Amino acid sequence: MIQRASTFLLLAVLTAVVLPANVQAAEDGELDALHHSANAYYLDFEPFGKVQLPRIFVIQHEDGSYGLELFGSTASAILNGHFVAEIEEHGDETDSETHDAEGAVLEATEEHAEGDEHVQAAGKYGGISLEQLEGHLVPPGGAHVVIDMSISRHLFFAWIGMLVVFVIMTRLAGMYKRGVGRDTAPKGLFQNLFETLIMFVRDDIARPNLGDKTDKYLPYLLTAFFFILTCNLLGLVPFGATATSNLMVTVVLASFTFILTQMGGTKDYWMHIFWPPGIPMFVKPILMPVEVLGILTKPIALAIRLFANMTAGHLVILSLIGLIFSFANIFGPGAGYGVAPVSIAFALFIYMLELLVSFIQAYVFTMLSALFIGMAIEEHHHDHDEAHGDHAADTNAASVLVS
Amino acid sequence: MEPTALAFLGAGLGAGLVALGAGLGIGKLAGPAMEGSARQPEAAGDIRTSMIIAAALIEGVALFGLVICIILATK
Repeated sequence: MIQRASTFLLLAVLTAVVLPANVQAAEDGELDALHHSANAYYLDFEPFGKVQLPRIFVIQHEDGSYGLELFGSTASAILNGHFVAEIEEHGDETDSETHDAEGAVLEATEEHAEGDEHVQAAGKYGGISLEQLEGHLVPPGGAHVVIDMSISRHLFFAWIGMLVVFVIMTRLAGMYKRGVGRDTAPKGLFQNLFETLIMFVRDDIARPNLGDKTDKYLPYLLTAFFFILTCNLLGLVPFGATATSNLMVTVVLASFTFILTQMGGTKDYWMHIFWPPGIPMFVKPILMPVEVLGILTKPIALAIRLFANMTAGHLVILSLIGLIFSFANIFGPGAGYGVAPVSIAFALFIYMLELLVSFIQAYVFTMLSALFIGMAIEEHHHDHDEAHGDHAADTNAASVLVS
Repeated sequence: MEPTALAFLGAGLGAGLVALGAGLGIGKLAGPAMEGSARQPEAAGDIRTSMIIAAALIEGVALFGLVICIILATK
């Protein structure tokens, strides 16, 4: 009975997923799953409003001089006339205006926005419309933006993550410095909780991969683990955003691992890349580019894995919630109410799954970082007689890791 | 058919194939790992570690495919 019910549930969800997902997004343009989890220059406290973040630009004027533009919010940047918002046109709302020479991008200055249907929406967010708020800011005239250093939502939450990790870790370090947990048993929930995690990173992640060099790399691994974990969990807090669902953040994290791996690389490590021993001469030139690519693919995979995992969970939750509105739009409000409990139950399940994924991804990132560093700093102690078999095994392992 | 429509179709089919491949790979990996740790519970920790590493690598390849699908779909 339960099995049949769950089959029906699954069928309902599957049918709903193949339905056009953008039905309700086209209606009001506000509940777009992809858009919601994307980066933006405001903190989303809907239904209470949006808090806009400072915009900082380095721009080059038409005469070639550089200038720094600093605004408290997107609204002030636009209303002061220093910037206009380039509004990206959605693919489905095609009107004749977009098919001119400008392509898909529609320049909407203030005068422009006043004329058309966005007139009520204008002024809702500190004097500008939502489209302007989410648009791409460009200075009018011949100037162009050199560097956009605006504080985005993901950057803001990465800072919160850093702050949380900093406060927790300095408090913890202070306790150990006083001798609590070192001379005596750890005291209190706080220290016990974090000592468990720290011991886990040290004994289960770092030590098996790094051996006697553990102490050298442990600070990085601990920082990476706790920062990723905090950022992942901040995304599950109401009104929060996941900094790790931004490719830039994960690429920076992965590049730290990349740099540490290359800096720690021993002679053996570089020899295995540029002149792999133990294989016929004619294979060496073929294997060398593969090995060089292997250096790069490891951190790239590291970055994309974290990014994709953290983005996917949010998209699934938002899509499940969006199903309610899709159903209500297609089959009427009754169907919306009917689908809501199922949808919410599934969303709750995915939420719990994401809680698990937050920990797993922090673990996997740290684990693989330790593994890559460990592979690079490993000293090979072998003499030349048994070198062949050993190296064959090594190369196999390396080629598995490359793929 | 429009080129954009074909791109969307390709992205959708590609995402499905990626999921299929990754599911197959991780399934093949996890099954014997479960069996192994059931037969030898004292080795469960080691098995889990190496399973997660291998699963992460399979997932990495799948994510490469997925990123291409996303690029196609958002073009």
